[in-house]
Amino acid sequence: MKEQILASLKRLHIEEYIINITSYQSAQMFFVKKSLDCKRAENTITYNVNVYRTFDKDGKEMKGNSSVYVYNGMTEEEIDASLSRAYLAASFVCNPAYDLMECTENKFITMESDLFNHTLEECCEKTSEALFAEDRKEDVFINSAEVFAYERNVEIISSTGIDSGYAQRWISGEFVVQCKEPQDVETYKDFRYNELDCESLKSKVRKTLEYTLERAKATEAPKAGKYRVIISDSYVNDVFSYYSGRAQAGYIYAGYSTFEVGQNVQATNAEGEVAEVKGDKVSMTLVPTEPLSDEGIWQRELELLDNGVLKAYYGGLRFSRYLGIEPTGFFGCVNVAPGTMSVEDMKKEPYLWVVNFSDFQLDDFTGHFGGEIRLAFLYDGEKVTPVTGGSINGSIIDSQTNMHFSKEIQKSADFVGPYAMCFEDVSVAGV
Amino acid sequence: MKVRESEYLKLKKPILKKLLDKLLARYEYASIFANDSKSTNYRVSKTGTNISEDGTLSERGFCVKVYDNGRAAEYSFSAIEEDTVDAVFDEITKRLDTLGKTLPEGVTAFGFDGIEDEKRCLNESTEYEVDPEEKGDNNIIDLLTRISEKGRAYDEKIIDCSVAFSYQKYSKMFLSRNKDLTQNVMWSCGYIVAMAKDGEEIQNGYKPVSMLGGIEVLDILESKLEDACKTAIELLSAEPMIPGEYDCICEPDVTGMIVHEAFGHGVEMDMFVKDRAQAQEFIGKQVASELITMHDGACTIPQVATYFFDDEGVVAHDTVIIEKGILKTGICDAQSAMHLGVAGTGNGRRQDTTRKAYTRMTNTIFEAGTSKVEDMIASVKYGFLLCQASSGMEDPKNWGIQLMVDIAREIKDGKLTGKIFSPIVLTGYVPDLLKSISMISDSIEAGGTGYCGKGYKEWVKVSDGGPYIKARIRLG
Repeated sequence: MKEQILASLKRLHIEEYIINITSYQSAQMFFVKKSLDCKRAENTITYNVNVYRTFDKDGKEMKGNSSVYVYNGMTEEEIDASLSRAYLAASFVCNPAYDLMECTENKFITMESDLFNHTLEECCEKTSEALFAEDRKEDVFINSAEVFAYERNVEIISSTGIDSGYAQRWISGEFVVQCKEPQDVETYKDFRYNELDCESLKSKVRKTLEYTLERAKATEAPKAGKYRVIISDSYVNDVFSYYSGRAQAGYIYAGYSTFEVGQNVQATNAEGEVAEVKGDKVSMTLVPTEPLSDEGIWQRELELLDNGVLKAYYGGLRFSRYLGIEPTGFFGCVNVAPGTMSVEDMKKEPYLWVVNFSDFQLDDFTGHFGGEIRLAFLYDGEKVTPVTGGSINGSIIDSQTNMHFSKEIQKSADFVGPYAMCFEDVSVAGV
Repeated sequence: MKVRESEYLKLKKPILKKLLDKLLARYEYASIFANDSKSTNYRVSKTGTNISEDGTLSERGFCVKVYDNGRAAEYSFSAIEEDTVDAVFDEITKRLDTLGKTLPEGVTAFGFDGIEDEKRCLNESTEYEVDPEEKGDNNIIDLLTRISEKGRAYDEKIIDCSVAFSYQKYSKMFLSRNKDLTQNVMWSCGYIVAMAKDGEEIQNGYKPVSMLGGIEVLDILESKLEDACKTAIELLSAEPMIPGEYDCICEPDVTGMIVHEAFGHGVEMDMFVKDRAQAQEFIGKQVASELITMHDGACTIPQVATYFFDDEGVVAHDTVIIEKGILKTGICDAQSAMHLGVAGTGNGRRQDTTRKAYTRMTNTIFEAGTSKVEDMIASVKYGFLLCQASSGMEDPKNWGIQLMVDIAREIKDGKLTGKIFSPIVLTGYVPDLLKSISMISDSIEAGGTGYCGKGYKEWVKVSDGGPYIKARIRLG
């Protein structure tokens, strides 16, 4: 099919293009209670062709593009028809001209992972075994689970000479823990690892079993008011998406974000004034989870913030070219420097520690974050009470000068950073 | 005009039947689900123009389902030719035989007795007025550009106006020993997002449109532009909500989110199988005000989730879930129906052929009532009109509500004061909210520009909606 696509592009005199060939192999297991309810296997391939067209409009050089999928079994005529329609469509896309990624080095990389030492079926079975290894109690247990083992092979071919690719494997999935007494509650968790990381998964299951047991005891919602709020686990990563979101070249080019390289963005308030940062300062690095972007950019780590000061913008080809910065591609993992406080130090003053939300969200346009509380621990200065219900409603723009990060860190496929963080005076809608 | 059947699937059908025969000789049950789908997104904003095929919704693929000694297994693949039938068959049996041989300690493989396969033949198509492909990419982009430019010129605070259109045209085929089903469907949708900025704060006004059909959906999009721009600017001066419980009037999109997120997910019966939904204990009991009747179904209303059979070959239904406040039944996929010993409701849906089918909602609505919207607002001493639902999360186990709404418009002594609050989190216990519904408007509106996930994945197109409702709701 690759040769057929290249031949069609040549026949149609399409001079600029990027072809992205992605194949997936997977093994999947679905569990309901203590039964394997369904198993699945997959062997698929997709061919995506992005065609570019440079033209003049009102004396300005423009470049349009349009992408289509080409499928196995398509005839020569069908491929020609599909690509010519995309090429025509590209002439209606009036974006200022920019250069495609040049070829610097062609290579195929197999990303290091011990998952390549096993078949996908074995990876799926071993992960399932780790998942259920901690499930030994009667009062709290795994209700249901899904486990996936994936292999993805990507090949990027461009008109600028790029012909590179990579192979990667990962395991992912989700599980639900249930506790029936004194009240029937559940906790949902998902996971993704690039290695056969059975110990991390076991630890995740163990913590989820513990929290679910606590949640079953929680009956009261916190009283409405302002709290010193601690969040932990994957919710910490969500908060830092404010900085990575606003540093994207696309946001900068559009004027959605006023972040400037060299600016202390953590100290800048809603009115654009600089305030004193009393809490921990944010230092973060963006880490690629794929070596090659779909635009043919070889990806490297990028320092984004140093003590709250923005060090760089990042993004895909078009907006990076418009801003005159080096295209970096997008990043699947964030590393954040830990803070100076231990979790125990954070818990010395009264707090509301939310360990489980039904869904936690941060809007990087408004800076607003919030979510409904599934389980939190409320410390009033005397005793700790598990609580459930109500919601937190905060703003990173208001809170960023006075937030603290834990010394303890957490690691997952998409985040390495503080295990917990703490905000002052966050509004809680409770009873 | 009717959507035409895929030539590709017609061509593949005899080849797939050969594979099916081989599978039926090996397994007690086998089916093949095939999909030929094309979806294109168009978007114009200040930052540029985009035309691209949607990677999630476009595919040509196949999914085999077998029961081997009652045990369910599936295999997804993307290519088959006359001369590769044997190779595909060998690969299916090899991969499925290998997987699951070793199970975690204490875990067994579940097996079903007597897989049903009702005899059914069908070939149906939905209708449209204008095919986007015939309209032409240039005309679509011209129209979107005109709306976007008009939006950007509306006010100096408007920093961008993104205008988008997308459609999906698909043919799906389901073959088993007794079934030969084909359907051809097209839906379209569009939206305007006006973005306003003041200092570091950015707010947006969002107006969507959607329908079962073609590009005719864009005829109504432009009329929503001014409203989108005004909303974005208004939100810049919104105040934070004072947490509390208030009398609220919900606009139809907020009603739709309550129907879908707060209640709909709770009656997905794969959750009953897992003992994860409180709703199963409430069948036959009152869960809502007597004013409430709720439906879900691929043939409930003509919208983006309308189809003739689901992705497991079960014919579409219109399921009455709540009737006058009483919970009647849930919705389910074929395998959950087998677990529970009930009939399937045609709600088994896959994101694509590489994914498992789950119980999924389709078009989910509350029926209309008899009240006039102005009378509903006039009846509120102090409360809010809730508008522009942005996101929600289900909690079938505990029936907890978590909905995010962008705007709460203050109502004092039966009148809108012009003061607005944002953002708003709706929380509470679902039956409490539904039982507190005291007035329902006399017409419904439904839409489906978004997607519904199962947890955080498995995206499918759904619509939801209903009338304006008056209820007592906790806001934060």
